[in-house]
Amino acid sequence: MTVECEHPHHLSRRGFLGGMAAAGAAGIAAPLISTQLAFAADPTYAGDTVVVISFRGGFDGLSAIVPAGDPAYATSRPNIKIPTNRLLSYDGTFGLHPAMAALKPYWDAGTFGAVHAVGQPDPTRSHFEAMEEMERAAPGSSLRTGWLDRALGLRGTGSVFQAAQLGWSLPSSAFNGPAPELALGRVDDFTLWAADDNDPVKAEANVARWAAALNSLMNGAPTTLVAPTESAVGAITTTMAMKRAGYTPGGGAVYDTTSDLAMSLRDIARLMKQNVGLQVAAIDYGDWDMHQNLGTVDSGWMFDKLTEVSAAFDAFAKDLGPKFADVTLVTMSEFGRRIDENGSGGVDHGHGNAMLVMGGGVNGGTVRGTWPGLAEANRDDGGDLRGDNDYRVVLAEILSKRCGQGSLSTVFPGLPSGSLGVVKTRPTS
Amino acid sequence: MTIEAPTRRRVLATAAVATAATGLSSAIAAPSASAFTLKKRRTRRSTVQPRDWRTLLLRRAAWGPNPESLADVNARGSIAGWVDWQLNPAAISDPMGAQIEALYPEMAWTIAQARAGIDQFSWDLMILTAQYQIARATWSRRQLNEVMVDFWHNHLHVAVPSDGLWDNSHDYDRTVIRKNALGKFSTMLSASAKHSSMLYYLNNESSTKYAPNENYGRELLELHTVGVDGGYTETMMFDAARLMTGWTVNGDTGIAYYDPDIHWTGPLQILGWSNANSAADGRPAVESLLLYLARHPKTAERIATRLVQRFISDDPSPGLVARLAATYLANDTDIRPVIRQLFLSREFAASYERKVKRPMEDVISTLRILGHTPLTAGTLDDRRKGIRALYWQTQDLRQAPLDWPQPNGYPDTAVAWQSADGALGRWNNHQSLAAGWWPNKAIINVPTPQSLLPTTVPTTAGALVDALANRLFNGLLRPDHRAAVLTFMGKSATSTLTANDQWLKWRLAELVALLLDSPAHTLR
Repeated sequence: MTVECEHPHHLSRRGFLGGMAAAGAAGIAAPLISTQLAFAADPTYAGDTVVVISFRGGFDGLSAIVPAGDPAYATSRPNIKIPTNRLLSYDGTFGLHPAMAALKPYWDAGTFGAVHAVGQPDPTRSHFEAMEEMERAAPGSSLRTGWLDRALGLRGTGSVFQAAQLGWSLPSSAFNGPAPELALGRVDDFTLWAADDNDPVKAEANVARWAAALNSLMNGAPTTLVAPTESAVGAITTTMAMKRAGYTPGGGAVYDTTSDLAMSLRDIARLMKQNVGLQVAAIDYGDWDMHQNLGTVDSGWMFDKLTEVSAAFDAFAKDLGPKFADVTLVTMSEFGRRIDENGSGGVDHGHGNAMLVMGGGVNGGTVRGTWPGLAEANRDDGGDLRGDNDYRVVLAEILSKRCGQGSLSTVFPGLPSGSLGVVKTRPTS
Repeated sequence: MTIEAPTRRRVLATAAVATAATGLSSAIAAPSASAFTLKKRRTRRSTVQPRDWRTLLLRRAAWGPNPESLADVNARGSIAGWVDWQLNPAAISDPMGAQIEALYPEMAWTIAQARAGIDQFSWDLMILTAQYQIARATWSRRQLNEVMVDFWHNHLHVAVPSDGLWDNSHDYDRTVIRKNALGKFSTMLSASAKHSSMLYYLNNESSTKYAPNENYGRELLELHTVGVDGGYTETMMFDAARLMTGWTVNGDTGIAYYDPDIHWTGPLQILGWSNANSAADGRPAVESLLLYLARHPKTAERIATRLVQRFISDDPSPGLVARLAATYLANDTDIRPVIRQLFLSREFAASYERKVKRPMEDVISTLRILGHTPLTAGTLDDRRKGIRALYWQTQDLRQAPLDWPQPNGYPDTAVAWQSADGALGRWNNHQSLAAGWWPNKAIINVPTPQSLLPTTVPTTAGALVDALANRLFNGLLRPDHRAAVLTFMGKSATSTLTANDQWLKWRLAELVALLLDSPAHTLR
């Protein structure tokens, strides 16, 4: 039998593009980008680009931001615990998993931090219900939109790049609703092949002809076809020009080309530097459902994932350079995992979890939120870390302080009051 | 078997016979039309005129129309006639299906043969299993069976490729899903629970009485049977996990087996089912629970909901769901009368263009209507190369067969798939397939775009657009869409085309691609 699958996913498309569109690659035209941003960024928006990363599958926050100072930690996880003397930036209660070494400098500098024991008001151990509820972020209401859609709906009409989903996943349901979002995949693949030409002038004319036809063909079509068509044809002229221009990351940043997370962050940095008006970017980074073989301090599933995350965040920060001041990156996951390890060297579904926060305006270097502890008496539902800190409070604080977002009660109906001090207020420019 | 009201059925059957006689493109869609007048509905002009019930049927109960499948529907004369014919797939002569079987002999392997035939932990067989799904869906004449195979794969989903499945995913496909796709759900559920694929995928393989792993127990209730609102508690979920301890996989052979030494014993209660579970051999108790769950009204409702969502609407009508669920229960989980009732329902007849194709449906329906076929000469590997390329195309479009990373299967609503790069990916794929860019004629038989034209080649631009629409959509484009295509060509409807016009020659593929980008192809 011949080898059927030696490529990583999606190599095929890139390989194909490279072959078929030798045309496009042949003559790199002078960057036309500045002339092509017909849709100027929303001039009324002067906030951060918020990058929301979904750790889909149930991130084990206890393995990343490790509560080694809690006496119950080591006894609950005899085989998968991280020894205290291996933790980074250990403060007597919490320390970072050693696989996060690339992020230690940011932690120590205060631009990377965490909130622990984060949860939803109405927890469930179902992945799918928990994800949907977390992205809807309107417990107890019948709203069917997502929180990012509601936040964007309150802002002025922005560019087609105002809200983008990057990477190889379906758009987050946090975008569900009327505000348009651009699911972009990868900038360099966001090309209409039929319109591509090594002569940029011809390519632009082709795109215009295709765009007019595609838009007209959507007359009378359902929104689920019209909206993505408008977003796609609105963006391709810019993305095709960006592809022609090429990209060299700044600050000596090295992105792992095999990592969808890293390459998605690379595109976000690129779009931010292009000043296309990117306000919100979402990435789906899954494969955290570690019921079995979570691994050890030095290797395994969790180690590999945290290493990939840390390298990607580090490259992103370096690449952004001064623009690191204009970004707030936040991770969320539908639930944390059980405090006790199971018989398979893994951990089953639990509740309370950790959120990671990074950016120039972050009050980092510490773990925020009230800590309920791991003692038996304080466990939720028989074995879970309590979710004492509402995840919406963290997101609301970021929207408020970093994006100038008003009407937080519209974005998060029933939002509890309070602030955890996760970020600084963005200076007005 | 419960059926729809006889009057309704008679209307459908009569109308069907009437339209069947009128030929491919001129048929008035009598069943749909009458259904639309029965109830006041918000009117959305259809993209193809007139509406044709055969197109509707083949876009839902099959992987999309092509001339051959339209002829098959015409030969059966009605929805009921075609569905009944399709519900007994073994009786359908299927030379292309046989060609696909010959192309993938590995699919008939036992797990032991697989372990002897490929390198340990190689992905080869898993990827072949996924490619085989594309081949059968595209070319088998047993189309309803292929659609249901895909449906059940997404219901009792094991992600392929994933750890532990290297030697068994083809066996899961054959012995669990395909064997029961048009049979009883209770049988399929029981087979899935004890298959190496599922035991690995949801970690029951490593679950023991000392520390039960909850993964399978939870998804058994939440996804496979009663659903998240099924009324079970966390304790009941844990009881399901305890009960399942004992079913595991022999790491040396890859074969599932039962180990009484790791089975948790003690009383269990799950919803209305209870069991003393005092024996080390818990297998009879496992079968008892699985049968109870398969027959549970909440399971009936969940399966009916998913079927309606798949075949009729993103927002299933509760009335139809209730009728289908009742049929499921009355027939002891046999899916055939349920499917029959669904396709004969007035809700189905009234659902023209109410669903949006997901990427895999788009790719396969495009291949079917264009008429690509596998190579018949060359080595096995040569002949599979084209299908391998198609697999990577579905991968790029986010919907490779069996590849959804979570245990709930691919979402089946338009909102979940709504994305700009999804739209762009489809357009690129249409262009690539229509022009034969990739896969190209070296690895798959690609029909020329000219083969889509009638024998008498159109002599005006308008006639060309109409001829292509007739061939691709079995009707005419609505006038504003037709005008948009003509504008794209820089022509008016009456512009004369000479025999060597670019739109009849080197730009015909581009025109075909544009038509495939229209909602006439994207809606189903």
